Amino acid sequence: MVMIMGDEVKDVIMAQIRRDVLNNTLSKGVRFDGRKFDEYRPIEVQRGPIKTAEGSAVAKIGQTMVLVAAKFDIVKPFPDRPTQGVMVSNAELLPTASPTFESGPPDEYSIEVARVVDRALRSAECVDLNSFFVETDKVLGLYLDIYVLNHAGNYTDTATLAATAALLDTKIPKVENGAIIRGEYAKPLNPTKLPLTTTMVKVGNNWLVDPSRDEERVLETTLTIGTTEEHVCAMQKGKGAITKDELVEAMEIAFKRGDDIRKILKG
Amino acid sequence: MDRKIVLPGEKIADGRINAPNTFSDGTATYAAVIGMMDEENRYVPLENRYKPVVGDVVVGMVTDVRHAGYEVDLNLPEGGFIPTRDIRLTLQLGDFVICKIKSVNEVGDVDLGEVRRLPKGKIIEFPSAKVPRLIGRKSSMLNLLKDYSGGEIMVGNNGYVWMSERCDMPLLLKTIKVIERKAHKSGLTDEIANMLKQEKGERPQTVQGEEYV
Amino acid sequence: MSDSKGTVPLMINGKRTDGREVEDLRNLRIEVGIIPEADGSAYVEWGGNKIVCGVYGPRECIPRHDASPYHSIVKCRYMMSPFASLEEHSRSGPSRRSTELSKVIREVFENVVIAEKFPNTQIDIYIDVLQADGGTRTASITAATVALANAGIPMKDMVASVAVGKAGDTLVLDLNKAEDNFGQSDMPMAMSQKDKKLLLLQMDGLLTKEEVIEMVGMAERGCEKVNAIQTSALKRFYEKGEDETVKW
Repeated sequence: MVMIMGDEVKDVIMAQIRRDVLNNTLSKGVRFDGRKFDEYRPIEVQRGPIKTAEGSAVAKIGQTMVLVAAKFDIVKPFPDRPTQGVMVSNAELLPTASPTFESGPPDEYSIEVARVVDRALRSAECVDLNSFFVETDKVLGLYLDIYVLNHAGNYTDTATLAATAALLDTKIPKVENGAIIRGEYAKPLNPTKLPLTTTMVKVGNNWLVDPSRDEERVLETTLTIGTTEEHVCAMQKGKGAITKDELVEAMEIAFKRGDDIRKILKG
Repeated sequence: MDRKIVLPGEKIADGRINAPNTFSDGTATYAAVIGMMDEENRYVPLENRYKPVVGDVVVGMVTDVRHAGYEVDLNLPEGGFIPTRDIRLTLQLGDFVICKIKSVNEVGDVDLGEVRRLPKGKIIEFPSAKVPRLIGRKSSMLNLLKDYSGGEIMVGNNGYVWMSERCDMPLLLKTIKVIERKAHKSGLTDEIANMLKQEKGERPQTVQGEEYV
Repeated sequence: MSDSKGTVPLMINGKRTDGREVEDLRNLRIEVGIIPEADGSAYVEWGGNKIVCGVYGPRECIPRHDASPYHSIVKCRYMMSPFASLEEHSRSGPSRRSTELSKVIREVFENVVIAEKFPNTQIDIYIDVLQADGGTRTASITAATVALANAGIPMKDMVASVAVGKAGDTLVLDLNKAEDNFGQSDMPMAMSQKDKKLLLLQMDGLLTKEEVIEMVGMAERGCEKVNAIQTSALKRFYEKGEDETVKW
C-alpha cells in the first residue's frame, strides 16, 4: 500500500508518477543516474573554506553540498561532568538549499540530522572532551554548525562527512587567563577516529546506497548507519520497517562504503 | 461465558473475508481493531471509528445553517450535509435530527436525506462498534430501555443516542454505561433486565410514542 | 553517554546495579483507558518511568493544508515534564530531544496504522512522561500501541518496544537510568509482533557488527515479553467490563 506522509504530501502526485517510473527501472537493477545500487555519487571534500572559524569543511556528494564550521568558546561545563568540555551540534536546512526547506526555527528534520551527526561523532569518541578543561567552571565548548547548502538527496551522509572533515581541519585555540586568544592556536584537534554515516533506502529486497532526491522521495524505508573503522557508532531508522536480515546486510554495506570514503578523506 | 478477545494483527480466519475493521494479506484475514469472536466464531469489533455507509441511520445535531443547506455534527471528523432543496422543514441551529446517509464520497463527505427533526432531549455518545448491542436482537434491548425509562430513545449507527426529555435520564445513563462496558458478554439483555427490575420493579407498560415531525 | 564509561561499575558479579539478570525486564505495568475523555489511552509504569498516552482521532486535520485526501496524517507529540528527572527543573515545552523522539515515534506508527481509511483527517498521539528513569521512548511506544488499540484505530499489527544496550562490557536488556547514562551503548528498538520487523532502530555508542546482531535477537525476545503484558492489559480491560480506579 502506498503511504506518503508529512511534507511529501505537497508533491504527492509528482511522487506517484515518479514512483512508478522509478520502481520500474529499479526493478531492472538500473538507477536513473546509471549508478550501481551500492555506489556513491562523486565525493569531494574541501577543508578550511571559512577562515573565521577554528575549523571548517565543505563536503559534496553529487550535487548535495554541506558546510560545517567548528568554533570554540569558553562555556560552563555540565554539572555532572565538571572537567569535560562540551560539544554542541546544530543543523540548518537553509531555505536557499531546496524548494522544500522553509525558513524559521529548526524543524524536526534539521534537529534529527544534527542529532544523528552528533551521535556518530560522540559515540566514535573522535574528540577528547577531557582535553577541553580550562579551569574550575570553565571548559572549551566546541560548536559544530551544519549548513546544508544544496539538497539533492542524502544530506545526512554529506553532513557527517563534512563534520568529520571539519574536525580534521580544526585547531584548538590558545587559552590564556581563562579566555580564548582568537587567531592563535595551541595544537591541531587531531580526531582519533573518522566516523562516517551511510544512508540507504530499500527497493524490494535490496538496499540502495546514497539515495538521490528523487529516490528519497519515493522510497520510504530509510536507514542510516554510522561506522568507524571497526565499529558501528550510530544508527537511525527513518520511515518504514526492516527485518533483522536486512539490517545485517545494511551493516556490511555501511562498513564497505564507509572505508571507501575514509580513504578519500585521508588522501 | 466470556468470549475470546482478539487484538489488532491477530488472525481471525483463513482466506480473504471482506468485513469492516479487518485486513487481509491474501492467505488469511486479520483483525485491525480490538474485537472478540462471538459464539459462531465471527469477529465482532469492540472499538472502532465510525465509517459512514450509505443507508445508515444516523443521529446528529445541526451545527451550521447555510444558504445551500445544513451542516450536521455526526461524530465524524467532518460533519454531514443536508441540502435545503431536499427537505421541506426548516431547521435551526442546535436542532436534533435523525436521517439516513444518502451518499458518501471517497474523501468522506456525507450527504444526508430522509430527515426528521427530533423534539427536545439529550444526545449522548456511545461507541459505534457496540451499537448493535444497545439495540439488541429484534430491538429487545432498546424496547427494554424505553419501557423502563418511560421515554423515546433513538440510536444512530454513528453512535449518537438521542433521549427524549421524558426519559428517566439518571437511570438510562447508568444502564447505557453498563451496556458499554459489558458489551462483549453474552446474556446481556437478561442481565440488564434484572438490573432494571431491581431498580424499578416490574417492567412498565409500553408508553405511547412521542410526536416528532 | 559513552565518554564516561568505566566511572560507574554497572555489572557486579554478573548482576546488574538493580539486581537483574542480563535479560530481565524491569517491572512493567500497563493500564488501559485511564483518560476517559480521550478516544483511547494508556498508562505505563516501567521501572521508574511513569508515562501517560492519549490518542485522539481520526479528527479534522488542522491546519487544513497538512491534510491528505489519500490517508490520515499521524501526528505525535512526545513531551517530558519539567519535573520528570531527579536533576534540576527543566524548561517546559519541546526540546530538541523531544522533537526528535516525536518524529521517530510517529514513524513507528505510520507503519502500522491503516491510514487510508480516513482521508483528510489526523490521528493525534500525545505522550507525556511524568517520571523518567531511562528508556522513556520505548515505554512511550509501548503505551501508544495500547492507547491506539483502545481508541479503535485500525492497525496492521501490535508494536512492542525495548532497549538493549552494553553496560559494563555486557549486553543487557532494558537499560535503567544508570546504564543509560554511564553504559557504553544504547540501542532502542521497536518491533511489530506479527511479522517481526524493526520499526524503531536507533543506536549510539560503539558496537561491533556481531554485537548488533546479538542485540536485535535480545530485543526480539524482550519485545515478546512486553507484548505479552500489553495483551494481558488489553484483555483484562475488555473482559472485566467494569471500571477500576487506577493506582498511580
